[in-house]
Amino acid sequence: MSFDVLWRYAPSLASGFGVTVFCWGAGGALGVVLGFLIALGFRAGAAPLRWALRVFVEVFRGTPFLMQLFLLYAGGPAIGLRLSATQAGILGLGVYSSSYFAEIFRAGFAAVPQGQVEAAMSVGMTRFDTLKRVILPSALVAALPPIVNTLIVLSKETVVLSIITVPELMYQAQTMAAETFTAFEAIFALAVFYWLLVEVVSRLGRRLELMATRFLSHEAL
Amino acid sequence: MGAPVIEIRDVKKAFGAHAVLRGVDLDVAKSEVVCVIGPSGSGKSTLLRCVNFLESYDSGSIRIEGKLIGYEETQGGPRRPMSTRKLREMRREIGMVFQHFNLWPHMSALGNVAEPLERVRGLSAAEAGERGRAMLKRVGLADKAEAYPGRLSGGQQQRVAIARALAMQPRLMLFDEPTSALDPELVGEVLEVMRNLAGDGMTMLIVTHEMGFAAHVATRIAFIDGGRVIDVGEPRKVLHESREPRVRQFLQTYHDRNAF
Repeated sequence: MSFDVLWRYAPSLASGFGVTVFCWGAGGALGVVLGFLIALGFRAGAAPLRWALRVFVEVFRGTPFLMQLFLLYAGGPAIGLRLSATQAGILGLGVYSSSYFAEIFRAGFAAVPQGQVEAAMSVGMTRFDTLKRVILPSALVAALPPIVNTLIVLSKETVVLSIITVPELMYQAQTMAAETFTAFEAIFALAVFYWLLVEVVSRLGRRLELMATRFLSHEAL
Repeated sequence: MGAPVIEIRDVKKAFGAHAVLRGVDLDVAKSEVVCVIGPSGSGKSTLLRCVNFLESYDSGSIRIEGKLIGYEETQGGPRRPMSTRKLREMRREIGMVFQHFNLWPHMSALGNVAEPLERVRGLSAAEAGERGRAMLKRVGLADKAEAYPGRLSGGQQQRVAIARALAMQPRLMLFDEPTSALDPELVGEVLEVMRNLAGDGMTMLIVTHEMGFAAHVATRIAFIDGGRVIDVGEPRKVLHESREPRVRQFLQTYHDRNAF
């Protein structure tokens, strides 16, 4: 293995890593917010809206991200959607992951025991207050572990953005490999950076879960 | 005497093809304590849940202090469901205690009691806290205000749930098998609180399997089987002098089970 190639390309790899983290963060945040709104629509929306959301989720969960990204970036201008590669990448990640987050939040809502909702109804609380004060706290805590998990999966989906020339880590590693004929070094660099990212995220996630569980249950400590 | 607090007339309800209530009539007068007993699956809990419309009923009427619950008053023609806002307003006046307590696990005991006071009655946090503490004191849990449900015993949780319902100052209280989920040694503390409530003149409709409690605290007992009220009257009459074979049979199995 040639370390001086890695050393020489370190700045571009580091900038690629920065772009990866940025796209992943922005796309993931967009996905979480969108997914939450979709799950709210599932719960409280009228039948046609629920049906439309169901189709949306099935389409974006059921087709490859690569295909979605191509369609968005290459086909977008046909419907007046002109995006830079990075913008398209972030939007694509957000929409794609929102279909997963929507299902996670939906399951989280469903996990709140009906009895807690009935107790709120029986004292005459409004549906909004019931959602805000009774359902959400429990539902969000239940949703946290699968959200962290999906965010980790998503961090690795960012490699697909290299296909539409977003200058993220995969793109920089491929450039390095092509310019210096060092395939192994490129893979090594990718592995180290992604492992680093996932490790940090999962540690943060675990800490968050612990805090959330303490907040929610106060039981069996 | 004015209109009964609860007036149930010919209430019918089916889950699909299965008729759960087949025409129930029952009145509860002010300050009365009516215990509903009967075999499981007889429709007791469903009936109770119809009284605050957590469960809808198909036909007949349930009136709370003369006001129909769940449906708009109509003169003939199909009836329309009541608006959610009106239903909420009626439910505020009806306290309910559940078999599984249904406390909110992310709020302390005091939080559980104060929450509806703030959200529904519009009290300030300070007022709600003050009334909440007074209610917890009333059920003997003044020292557990800051404890979370997960740290409380079943009996304590149920007493918090009673305090939560009571804090709303309801006109009547519904109890859906309040002691059925409790360890036997914890039943007494909950029944004690309910006995005190009855002594204070609260109007109560209670679904229970606690025959001893029903015998001593109820003003009347209603025996339900197969979705109908089979017998209703003073505890002594229903428990010891009923001519209804199903009542006698039920009580016989009950005695057999508890003989040792």
